Amino acid sequence: MSVAVVPIDVRSTGTLIEAIEVVYDFGETPALRGANVAIREGEILAVMGPSGSGKSTLLHCLAGILVPKLGEIRLSGERVDTLAESARSALRRDTFGFVFQFGQLVPELSAEENVALPLLLGGVRRNEALVRAREWFGRLGIDGLERRRSGELSGGQAQRVALARGLVAHPKVLFADEPTGSLDSLTGELVMELLVTAARQDGTTVVLVTHEPRVAAYADREVIVRDGQVTSLTPRDRAT
Amino acid sequence: MIRFGLRLSTRGGRESLVRLVVMALAVSVGVAMLLLTLGTINGLGKQNARGAWMATTPSVEVGYPNHGSPFSSATTSSTHSPIWWFISSQQFQSQLIVRVDVAATGPRALVTPGIPHLPGPGQFYASPALARLLRTTPAIELGNRFAGTEIGTIGSSALPSPNDLVIVIGQSARSLSKVSGAGEITSFVTSSSDGGPDTAGTTGLQTILAVLALVLFFPVLVFIGAAMRLSAARREQRLAAIRLAGATMRQVTVIAMVEALVAAIAGVAIGFCLYFITGPALVHVPFAGQPLEPGDLSIGVIDVMVAAIGVPLAAAVVARIALRRVHVSPLGTSRRVTPRPPRATRVIPLVVGIAELAYFVSVGRPGSSNGQIEGYVLGFFLIMFGLVLAGPWLTMQGSKIMARRTSRVSVLLAGRRLSDNPRGAFRAVSGLILAIFVTSVSVGVISTILTDHGSSSSNTLASKTVTDQFAFNPNNSVATVKPSVLSSIQSIRGVSGVTVVYVAPGAMKIDGPVPHINNLGGDLQYGVVSCAQLDKTPALGKCRAGASYAALGDDVAFMPITKSVTVAASTTWPNAHPTKGLTTLPVQLIAVATNGSASTIEDVETVLDRNFTFQGMTGLFGDIDAQKSQLLSELQTTSEVVILASLLIAGCSLAVAMAAGVSERRRPFSLMRLSGAPLGVLQRMVALETAGPLLVIAIASALTGFVASDLFLRSQLQLTLRPPGLSYYLIVGGGLFGALVMIASTLPLLDRATRPESARIE
Amino acid sequence: MSVPLTLLGLLEREPSHGYDLKRDYDTYFGRAKPLPFGQVYATLARLSRDGMVAPGEVEAGDGPDRKRYAITPTGKEEFETWLAEPVEPEPHLQTVLFSKVVLALMLGRSAAHYLDTQRAAHLQRMRELTELKRQDNLMDVLLADHGLFHLEADLRWIDMTAARLPSLAAAVAS
Repeated sequence: MSVAVVPIDVRSTGTLIEAIEVVYDFGETPALRGANVAIREGEILAVMGPSGSGKSTLLHCLAGILVPKLGEIRLSGERVDTLAESARSALRRDTFGFVFQFGQLVPELSAEENVALPLLLGGVRRNEALVRAREWFGRLGIDGLERRRSGELSGGQAQRVALARGLVAHPKVLFADEPTGSLDSLTGELVMELLVTAARQDGTTVVLVTHEPRVAAYADREVIVRDGQVTSLTPRDRAT
Repeated sequence: MIRFGLRLSTRGGRESLVRLVVMALAVSVGVAMLLLTLGTINGLGKQNARGAWMATTPSVEVGYPNHGSPFSSATTSSTHSPIWWFISSQQFQSQLIVRVDVAATGPRALVTPGIPHLPGPGQFYASPALARLLRTTPAIELGNRFAGTEIGTIGSSALPSPNDLVIVIGQSARSLSKVSGAGEITSFVTSSSDGGPDTAGTTGLQTILAVLALVLFFPVLVFIGAAMRLSAARREQRLAAIRLAGATMRQVTVIAMVEALVAAIAGVAIGFCLYFITGPALVHVPFAGQPLEPGDLSIGVIDVMVAAIGVPLAAAVVARIALRRVHVSPLGTSRRVTPRPPRATRVIPLVVGIAELAYFVSVGRPGSSNGQIEGYVLGFFLIMFGLVLAGPWLTMQGSKIMARRTSRVSVLLAGRRLSDNPRGAFRAVSGLILAIFVTSVSVGVISTILTDHGSSSSNTLASKTVTDQFAFNPNNSVATVKPSVLSSIQSIRGVSGVTVVYVAPGAMKIDGPVPHINNLGGDLQYGVVSCAQLDKTPALGKCRAGASYAALGDDVAFMPITKSVTVAASTTWPNAHPTKGLTTLPVQLIAVATNGSASTIEDVETVLDRNFTFQGMTGLFGDIDAQKSQLLSELQTTSEVVILASLLIAGCSLAVAMAAGVSERRRPFSLMRLSGAPLGVLQRMVALETAGPLLVIAIASALTGFVASDLFLRSQLQLTLRPPGLSYYLIVGGGLFGALVMIASTLPLLDRATRPESARIE
Repeated sequence: MSVPLTLLGLLEREPSHGYDLKRDYDTYFGRAKPLPFGQVYATLARLSRDGMVAPGEVEAGDGPDRKRYAITPTGKEEFETWLAEPVEPEPHLQTVLFSKVVLALMLGRSAAHYLDTQRAAHLQRMRELTELKRQDNLMDVLLADHGLFHLEADLRWIDMTAARLPSLAAAVAS
C-alpha cells in the first residue's frame, strides 16, 4: 500500500461547504492559522486532532457559530461568515443539524419534544412536528422512549435522541462534535452506525469532529488539524 | 471549620463574592425596612406625645352632667388655677383645624403648651401653618371664624406635625362657662405611650403600620431566600467536593451557615447605612398621618438589637432550612428528579373562604357584632391562607394548559418548567399575595367609603352642600336661626338655597311612612322642613308635588357613615302637617346649597361658624368626620405604597431567582442557541417564567381582595364596591412596571451566559 | 498463530480426520491464510510423535488419510497449560517502523512525513475494517474489532513517537 500526503485541493466541484484561509484566535491564544478544508456534498468527513488543536473551533467557524478573524466560509459558493448573527442563526436552524457530546437535551421536555425542537423553532405546528419527530424513534431503535425525560434516559439513548434532533429537519450538513465522547465502546459504535446509515440514506453531509481513530473510521475521509492548520492524508491508491 | 468557612466565602472567587453581595443586599433591604418601620412607629409616638395635651377633657362638662372621660384631669393642681376649656374641630378645604377655646379663672392660670401665656379675650395664638393661611386667605373665608387678633404662634413642641392647623383662642370665663360641653381643667394629658389618649388614632395607626410592615416583610424574606438559592447548584458542587474530601454533613452545614452569617452581618451594616441615608428623605412622605419632623424618626436600643441580631438570625435560619432540603452527597446532585406535584385539594380553603363571605351577602351576616368580626376574620383568613396554599396548584394547572397546546418553543419551555416545579416558581411571588390581598381589601373598602361620601369625587350634590349639624347637641343648647343669619348666608355669592331642618314634634301628622336611608333602625327624631326651602337644597331630597311641609328621616340629620348620600337626594319625603310655626322648634340641621366653589364653601362655613361658634358641626353633607376622612385616605395611600414596595421587592426576588435558573440550565440553552435558536426564544421563555406568575398572581390577589372587600361592603355596609381612584392604578402599574424592569435587567445575563462562544466543554 | 496448539484444541472438542481439521481451522482461524494440507498432516505427525495425539483405527475408504486422530491426556494437559498462559506481546510491526524512523533520522530524511504516511495507511485500513463490520457477520465483527483496536494502539504509538521526534533526532545525532 503506497500512500502520499497531498496538499488540500480546494474548490473542487461538488463542494458544499468550505473554509478558506480561516484565522481565529481567542484573545492571545491562536486557534486557527490559515485553515483550509473543502467538504463535498454527501461526504462524511472526520476532523481529527488532539484536544485543544482547534478542531472544534474549525467546526464552529464552518457552522457559522464563530466569525473568522480572517478568511472565508462558503456554503454552496456563497459567503456565510459575513452574515449578521441573526442570519447565521437562521442558517444554523434551517440548514444545519448539530450533535454534541452531551448536555444538549432540554431537561424539561420529553424525548419527542426535544427531537421536535428544530421543527418548532422553524415554525412547524406542534402536532405535525411531533409526528415527524416520532418517525425517528423507530429509525434509531429507541421506540417507546418518546415520552421519557432526558434524565430518565441512558447515555446511549440520550445521544440517539440528540442524533434524531440533529437530523429531524433534514439538514444539508450535520455537525457532530465528539458525539460518542461520553459513551462506552459498544454504545458509541451503535450511535456511529446509526449516524452513518441515516446520513447515507438521506444524502446528508457530515462534519465529524473526533480524536478517536475508531470513530473517524466511520467517515469517508479524514483531515487533521495541527498547529492551527488542516492537513489531509489521502492515500493515492486504495489498497485492499 | 468556621475559619475555613470564612476563608471559603470571602476568597472563593468572583462567583461566591457575587453570591455574598446579593445576599448582603437582600438582608440590608430587610434591615433598612425594619428600622424605618420601627423608627416611624417611634416617631408617631413622639408626634402623639406632642399633641397629647389636645386630648384633655374636663371631668365635668357644661350640659353633660354625667359625661366624663377616663382621660380627664381629676387631680387639682396647686400651682396653677384652672382654666375653662373647650376643644372643637372644623374644616378648611378638607384640612382639619383644631380650635381650643380657653379662659383663665384667676392669676397664674394654666398655660397650654407652646405659648408663653394664656391668650385673653379677643386674642389668639395660631400654629405657624395656620398663621400662614390666615395671612394668605380672604377673611370671609377663614379669618372671620376666629374673633380676635393674633398675638403669636404656637411652638412646634406642642404640635404633632409642623403642618398642623391649631388655634388657641382666649375667651372670657363668663362666656365660656356657659358653652355646652366646656369645662374646667387643671392639668393637661401627657404622653400616650401607656394607654394614654389617642389624638389622631395613633395607637391604631401604629398597630396598622406594624401589621403592614409585617405583611411587607414576607416579600423581603422571600427575597432573602431567593438570594440564598442563587448559585445553589454551584455551591452544592463546591460543598460536595468538600464532602468528598471527608467532611461530614454537619461540617458542611456549618460552612454554609457561616457564609450566610457573613453576608448577614455585612447586610446589617449596609442596612443601617441605608436607614440613615434614606430616613430623613422619607420622613417628608406622609405615610400615615401628617409628615413627621426629621427628629422624630428615631430608633431605640431595643430596635437596634432587634434589627442587628434578629435579621441575621432569620437569614441563618433560612439558610439552614434551604440546606436541609438538599442532602449534599459527596457526588453532588447529578440527576434531577421531578418533585411531587401539588394536589388539587389545596384549593379547598380558598373556595371555602369565598363561599363563606358570599353566604354572608346572600343569606345574611351573623347577628352579634362579635359574631360578625369572627365571621369576617375567619373568611379573610381562609382566603389569604387559601391563596397561598392553592397558588402552586393553580400555577401548575395554568402552565400545563399553556404548554399543552402551544407550538411556540418559548411558551412550551416556560409552561413545562412552571408545571414541573410550581412550588419553586410560586415561592418567588408568594410574598406578594399577602401584601396585595390585604392592601387591595383596604383600598377597596376605603375608596368605596370615601367615594360614596363625595369627599373624593367633586360633582355630587352632596359635595356642594354645606351643613351645620346640631343634632348631637344636648337638649338644653338648642340653636335658633335668626332671620338675619339666614339672609347673611343667602347673600353669599354662590349660594343657591338654605334649608333649616327643625326637630319634628312627636305628635305631628305625617302622610305615610318616612323612608329610611339606612337600616340602622332606632327611633331618633324626624325632622320637618318647609318645602319652599327644600326645593332649593336638592341634596336633602324632594317634596311631594304641591306640598308645603315635609318630614325628613332621622338619617338626614344624623347621616351615618353607611348608605349612599345620593340616595338622600333621590328620596321623596312625605307631607307633614305641623301645627305650630317651624321657627319655634329646635333646629336639627342647616343645609346650604352652593355652586361648589371652594371660596363659597369656606365663606359659608365661616359665617356658620361665626354665628354658631360653640354649637354646631360644620362640614359637607354626609361627610364623615373630617379627621376620620383624612385618616382613611392616608391609610389608603399607605396601602398603595405597601403594594408598590412589595411589587418592587418581588421583582428583585424574581430577578435573582431568574439568574439562578439561567445558570442552572446554561449548557442546554447555549447548545440550543448554537443549533440556531434565536436569543429571543430564550428571552421570551424567561419573561413568561418570571413575569407570567408575577402578573397573574398580582392580578389574582388584587381581584380576590376586591371581591372580598365587595362581599364585606355589601353585607356590612350595604355598599357595592366602587373602583379605586387613579392613584391606585398608577401605583400598581408603576410597581408592576418597576418589577418587570428589574427582571428585564437580568436579560443581558441570559445573553452572556448562553452565548455560543461560551459553550465550551466544562 | 500457533498451529499445533490450535489443532490440539480442535481435537479436544472431538476426534477428527485431518480433512475435517483443516476445514475447521480455515473456518475459524484461517480467513486470511488457509492452512495447507501438507502442514496439517506434518503437524499431526509431529504431535503424534510427541504423544499429544493418537491415531485411531484406519477406516475403510480410499486414501491413506482416513485416520481419525484423538487427543491424548498428555496432549490435553499441554493444551490446557497453553490456554491459560497470556499471549506474548508482538513487537514485529513496531520494530520495523522503529527501524525505519531511526534510519530516516540518520539519513536526514523526514521522519514525520513517514509517520504521517503510516498513519494514513492505518486509517485507511481501519476504514475498511469498519466497513466490514457493517456486513453483520459476527465472526467478521469480532475479527475486525480485534484489528481495529490493534491499529488504534499502533496509531497511539505513532502519535507518541511523532511527539518524541525532536529528542530522538538529538539522540541519533550524538
